[in-house]
Amino acid sequence: VTATTRILSLAAACAFIAGVVWLSSVPITAHASSAALLRLAWSARPERVEDCRQRSAEELANLPQHMRQPLACEGTTAEYRLQVRAAGALVVDRVVRGGGMRHDRRLYVLEEVPVPAGDTDIQVRFDRVETARSASTGPPQRIESVPPHLDYEQRITFRTREVVLITYTPDVRALAAVQGSSDPAHKGPQP
Amino acid sequence: MLRNVFRLLSALLSAADAFCNRLYGKRFNPLYQSGTIVVTLYVVLVATGLWLVVFYRVGAPWESVAALTANPWIGNWVRGLHRYSSDLAVVATAVHALRMFAQARSTGARTQAWASGCVLLLLLFVCGWTGYVMVWDSFGQLLAREGSRMIDVLPVLSEPTTRAFTGEQPVATVFFFLNLFAHIGVPLVMGGVFWMHVKRLQRPLLLPPRPLMWTVIGAATAAAVLRPIVMAPRADAFTLPPTVPADLFFAFWLPLSHRLSAGHALLAATAFGIGFLILPRVTRPRVAAAPSVVDEDLCVGCVQCAIDCPYGAITMVRRADDRADLVARVDSHLCVSCGICAGSCAPMGVGPPGRSGRDQLERVRTFVSSGVAAGRIVVVGCEHAGAGADGRAGTRIVSYPVDCGGNLHTSVVELLLRGGAAGVMIVACPPRDCRHREGPRWLEERLYKGREAELQPRVDRARVRYATAGPGDRHQLAAAIDEFAAQIRSLNPAQASASLDVEAECEPAIIEDTA
Repeated sequence: VTATTRILSLAAACAFIAGVVWLSSVPITAHASSAALLRLAWSARPERVEDCRQRSAEELANLPQHMRQPLACEGTTAEYRLQVRAAGALVVDRVVRGGGMRHDRRLYVLEEVPVPAGDTDIQVRFDRVETARSASTGPPQRIESVPPHLDYEQRITFRTREVVLITYTPDVRALAAVQGSSDPAHKGPQP
Repeated sequence: MLRNVFRLLSALLSAADAFCNRLYGKRFNPLYQSGTIVVTLYVVLVATGLWLVVFYRVGAPWESVAALTANPWIGNWVRGLHRYSSDLAVVATAVHALRMFAQARSTGARTQAWASGCVLLLLLFVCGWTGYVMVWDSFGQLLAREGSRMIDVLPVLSEPTTRAFTGEQPVATVFFFLNLFAHIGVPLVMGGVFWMHVKRLQRPLLLPPRPLMWTVIGAATAAAVLRPIVMAPRADAFTLPPTVPADLFFAFWLPLSHRLSAGHALLAATAFGIGFLILPRVTRPRVAAAPSVVDEDLCVGCVQCAIDCPYGAITMVRRADDRADLVARVDSHLCVSCGICAGSCAPMGVGPPGRSGRDQLERVRTFVSSGVAAGRIVVVGCEHAGAGADGRAGTRIVSYPVDCGGNLHTSVVELLLRGGAAGVMIVACPPRDCRHREGPRWLEERLYKGREAELQPRVDRARVRYATAGPGDRHQLAAAIDEFAAQIRSLNPAQASASLDVEAECEPAIIEDTA
């Protein structure tokens, strides 16, 4: 093995390792645009819609004793229309249903809308879709569900590359904005 | 078209092999040792990972890693070694997979090794993914969001996992606990899959030669010391960083998946994974080479073929007839038709159809009878090695290609010399580059160290030369042939033997009688 070969082999190894080190931490573009982001994210229990009727005495008599409930109910959960307007333009318009195969679980909202930096009027409406069965005839629900109508309308100042979160706060049963987590002055929901 | 792709791959591999052989020699060529280098790096990763996890806190992931990174004595370089070892492991795994595919070592009885290798590669990526998420910097957050975005496409979870990273609430500690659990658990699973990966090998080589092993570890350590790890900004759900420092070995797909919808990204990843898994199956011939067969009348139960078989495909069982010996049995599901058993069987009772010792003798007798070997140097070259004396050293050299140096029966060498060849040069692949793992090793021992089915003592060793060469080592091989030719010229002219009776060469008893 000549000295030249030794030097070349060392140089090749160093070049290879340098390449590995460089590729190990390459800045990649995560968000090319300098726009801000409006994020809507919440989860809530949809309203249970039940169609109930009284069982007749004959029906009750045909049932086993432990199943003789006087009220027979069939039900589903309500659907909600989510509409988001940014500076007057409709940017989100979709129907939200409960999770699960039968849509009887909690509903989840997750929408992200790019918004230019600066002041923007944001309007969010979350309304129960009225159908023939949307009015429940069952007993009052024991678990509190999302109100049939939620409304949020504010002028929000978006900073460059900032994410503003609009979420549902069950304590006050309303939508609220969370802005600038790194800035203590802006922490917390702003109904 | 596929054939051209294979040719291109093989040519690239050969060129890279030749380059590394020149720089590092055949023994320390890192390309030949890619599989064992991965094992070395796995051990380094486990050792450094155990150290790092002592300082990791699931309740404060970024803070604990940042504190560790700020410590140059016990933290930063260990973290760097952990990271660069994982990157090198990806590179070595990719080289290993490319070799196995380009050399057609991924189908037939080797399908299990290929499939388990694909699983190991997937688990390596999962390990890397969980490792970077553990840090919970901007890169970890990006990986977590991309991963959860794809998971949410699957209709298995009623609650989208992406919601964990929206900023509604701080990311739950349980998430980091589960992530840590996966980061520790997956390597344990990898150990089990690795066992399956090498299960069909009789003598799996797990580590490279020590100088190479310590060089790899030293190089990764030097990189960790010279280029300390720098913490990326803490993950923040409320800001959109323009750029993120990404490890492209584990996140090469990120720039692409970022532009695709979650469904398309998941579909592309799945298609790529399945395509990689079945690639050898769809690109290689469906009909595998026939497995070895045993001629029970010739088998003397010496066990050598069972010892030499690299895949443990041969077992010795009791005979059904009245002979007291054992007899060899070939498991056709394990046999890759390498033919090494043909070279290891002195009485020539085992080997793939058409390539047994007897078939080799038939072929060489025809070759010798044609007179082309008389007075010349015969270069018996493995077709995968850099053999091929065409166009070299004028008319004194003649090429005699064989499918593997490892299954060459030593009687072929003797017969060539008895047929009047001036010398026989046997060229095999470099030991760590043999398609059949141990061919060159057994061949060398049969030629020079008296391993069973050895070259008979009566053969003039001055007229026999053994060399190894990769496909890109033509110049070195040419020089070795020239040097051997010069040695042969200094000897007395070769004399052809009167008898070239194949049967006389095959039966050990007859050979003893004639000797």
